[in-house]
Amino acid sequence: MFEDVKMPEGMSPQMLEHLMYPKNYGKLDDADGVGVALDEKTGEYVIFYTKLKNDIIEDVRFATNGCQDTVVIGSMYTEMIKGNDTEYAQKAIAKMHEKLGNLSPQQQICADIVFTAFIASLKNYENRQNGHDEELHALKMKESCEVKDDNSNGEENDK
Amino acid sequence: MTSKTYQKKHELWLSILFASFAIEDEAIKSRLYDFSQIAFRHMKWIGTALLESGSDYNYDREMQLLKRESNFEILKALQEEVEAFSSEYDNSVLMQRVRTDDEYLLEYLSQLLSDAKNDAKVTAFSMERKWDDLAQEQVDALTLFLFEESYKEYELILVYAYMQARTDDTLHFSVFQDLVDESHFHLKSFGNMMARLGILALPRELHPMTYIVKDLKKFIVDGIAEEEAAKEMCRELSDAIKDEKLSKFFDFINYQESYHIELMKKLL
Repeated sequence: MFEDVKMPEGMSPQMLEHLMYPKNYGKLDDADGVGVALDEKTGEYVIFYTKLKNDIIEDVRFATNGCQDTVVIGSMYTEMIKGNDTEYAQKAIAKMHEKLGNLSPQQQICADIVFTAFIASLKNYENRQNGHDEELHALKMKESCEVKDDNSNGEENDK
Repeated sequence: MTSKTYQKKHELWLSILFASFAIEDEAIKSRLYDFSQIAFRHMKWIGTALLESGSDYNYDREMQLLKRESNFEILKALQEEVEAFSSEYDNSVLMQRVRTDDEYLLEYLSQLLSDAKNDAKVTAFSMERKWDDLAQEQVDALTLFLFEESYKEYELILVYAYMQARTDDTLHFSVFQDLVDESHFHLKSFGNMMARLGILALPRELHPMTYIVKDLKKFIVDGIAEEEAAKEMCRELSDAIKDEKLSKFFDFINYQESYHIELMKKLL
């Protein structure tokens, strides 16, 4: 699926399609899990809505105020995981990292914020299943787009 | 008048605006752009009326920008959309004003459609991505810039308009208006360039997390950093693009971004 993705070097027709018409973009009113990944330094966020049925991701949406790389990766990733199970979706993160290996550090951070938002939506689902009244689960990004060293991943919010 | 009225006017504003970008004929483009600005003011006034009545509105949308192949296809679709909005009219002074404006827009669209000379092929959705003598990598850079910045300008228009509708501070109100006006001009410039490249597309919808601003100071500080980033993108693009006219255009935009930062500082 990601063989044609060449974001740093050029623009494939697939990438252009995702830019012009991002897939699964927006809100999902009946989501079972809602997750947010937030870069506090820049204010950039990704919000991820996941609707699950017996571990299958029936529907998914995402939205962001971030850059176009975040939009393209969110669009591709949601297309990839919709209709698959959550185990596949988590493996897909590693697969996407592999496929998008040539990204710049900033683009890698864009990928991480999308994946972190998805993980947060699963955490929110789990918390709701355990009886917690949690509207959404938020994870803060350790690394900002403005910082270029170190690896990034989400860390638990204080709440 | 409900939040749905606001949403439909928001969609109509975008439809008129993007029709003006898509159509190459300069006279029609310019006239439709004027109508889009009127529609934006309708939207603003409807929003104010909703707030005054204790209601609220949001920036949800249920619309697509369909790829049309001729001026007449665009104009007929627009005609249908304006007509559909008529279900929202009520007897208020505001909605009577909206009705008479919309009726005149329909009259203008009818006039255009009655003359076959106004029809032409539309290339705004061709995906061709050619710009004079620019090399492909320069076109790629320009493409990315236009997607990034057209969304950003749309976002700024809506976020500043949202805050303007809710402030009692006259300085803030005035600065928000300046910033909205400036972003309208930038969105117009970038939208027309996207159409010329054949990649015209709607900016993506705003999520409430983007436009409901809880901390104005942080929002402005982040916004200044974004303006700095936009300036840098303009500068890099101006350096990279071997086209004197385009290069000068991006220098011009760069200087405008500098003044936006000064305007934003007044909000701190």
